[in-house]
Amino acid sequence: MGSQLAALVGAHLSDRRRSVLAWGLPLGLMSAFIVAIFPSVQGALSQAIEKYPSGLKEAFGIGELSNVEQYLHAEMLSLIVPLAAGYLAVRAVASGLSGAAESGRLDVLLSSPLSRGRLCAAGFLATAIELAAVLAVDALLTGLGSVLSGADLAAGPTLAGFASVWPLALLFAGLGIVACGFSLRTSVVTGSVAGVLVAMYVIDLIGKLDPGLSGVRYVSVFKYYGNAIEDGIDPLAFCGVTAAAVVLAAIGSWLFDGRDISA
Amino acid sequence: MPVIETEGLTKIYGNHRGIEEVTIAVEAGEVFGFLGPNGAGKTTTIRTLLDLIHPSSGTARIFGLDSQRESVAIRARLGNLPGDFGYGREASGREAVRLLARLRGIDGSGRAEALAERFRADLDRPLGQLSRGNRQKVGLILATFHEPELLILDEPTGGLDPLMQEEFLALVAEERERGCTVFISSHDLDEVQRVCDRVGIVRAGKLIAVERMADLLGKARRKVTVRVADPSGLEELRGLEGVSELQIDGTQATFRVVGDFDGVVRTLAPHHVLDLEAVHPSLEEVFLGYYREEGE
Repeated sequence: MGSQLAALVGAHLSDRRRSVLAWGLPLGLMSAFIVAIFPSVQGALSQAIEKYPSGLKEAFGIGELSNVEQYLHAEMLSLIVPLAAGYLAVRAVASGLSGAAESGRLDVLLSSPLSRGRLCAAGFLATAIELAAVLAVDALLTGLGSVLSGADLAAGPTLAGFASVWPLALLFAGLGIVACGFSLRTSVVTGSVAGVLVAMYVIDLIGKLDPGLSGVRYVSVFKYYGNAIEDGIDPLAFCGVTAAAVVLAAIGSWLFDGRDISA
Repeated sequence: MPVIETEGLTKIYGNHRGIEEVTIAVEAGEVFGFLGPNGAGKTTTIRTLLDLIHPSSGTARIFGLDSQRESVAIRARLGNLPGDFGYGREASGREAVRLLARLRGIDGSGRAEALAERFRADLDRPLGQLSRGNRQKVGLILATFHEPELLILDEPTGGLDPLMQEEFLALVAEERERGCTVFISSHDLDEVQRVCDRVGIVRAGKLIAVERMADLLGKARRKVTVRVADPSGLEELRGLEGVSELQIDGTQATFRVVGDFDGVVRTLAPHHVLDLEAVHPSLEEVFLGYYREEGE
């Protein structure tokens, strides 16, 4: 039955082959641009940031900005890339379930000897691969921007920075499968999970800004995201969030198995 | 053992009725028609058989297996054409066949190429670029390419042109010859009349009759037109058992007959019958008759 999983993952990736470039290129080019301009803006930035309130700097992960890695984290990896990747994840996983239900493909696939659990697993696995590919394109283009501009971006920390986005985004793929357990309308699935994504970011932000509310950060996956480009990947957080994503996918699969596939 | 067997199959959506207490048995090698207007519950029944929706109560068994607990094993042995077939816009028919073949553990694409040639289906163009009829052909190929033991077809000829409808009916007959059981949902009564051994008539979610096709037609009210030399005998038809809707116009009468013609023939024989035409009823008339009967 592994061949069924391989066939479904292959078909899913084939359907979404354009999205790797559609999402990877803009994010990668934007990161490359940020890296490329760093040498010319570094001085002015340091002066400006010195005047920022300390709470604001902490909330948005803005440090000294004395090196390009810090600048890349502040401009891209602390907000834009994780939010974009999280949204991509839910769109990708929804395309294989709610999207397939809307197009009629789900009826055809589930006329074959395929369990719904395997269908969910394939969608989750394909999304994990797609996310990794998009983040790899981002990291590659960012590295290229550094080489071309002479920004001196370190390869290892850059890879760690982009890699740390992967479990965070995957968590929203898991949530997407849970949402498909309740609704097979793609707009409902992507809208609700994107709402959770933004809400988690805001909750984490509030927790950072107000020490009295720091406890609320525990319900947000962004608390466990950290700053891998500077501090390296926290293996516990990386594995823990990945495990949480898998658990959510399993719960979603169970819900999906119990629901009706509407005509 | 029946290939399809349901017992009190019921599906309720909130306050809305889907199907109620549907009990049927479809024997191996049989072509069974499932007739009813839109919204009668045909698709709900099929989706319940396929475990796409879960019944509120009742049971369904296919090949003797429970349709919910053993649905994967069941689906390995059947082919299904969903109503209003769709597969997305980007993929081609060939890609769909390739994926389904892999999901079924089939090397190659079975008889998909031969069927594509027979139905003049384009397997290379993205399905989003095909007309409804051409998409339907791809759907038929996906349902049949692996030579299943059971075919479940929901409104299979929708969008097909008359030539392709003929080809489809020929395919169903060949599938029966091969030993395949066929379950066809349709409101195209003519095609069902031509191909089915038995029919189930569903109305407002309830199965109101299951009949052999020949018996069903025997119960039908055939339309008769008769011309006689001596019109005085025509009035004797009025009140004759099985005769209704009698209209007399000079030496000609039109009326409907249920059952055998013996009484009509005996009544008219002494009056020199010049011409007699009995029109075989369409299944639509049969079907409407059932509705009328139920309404009364």
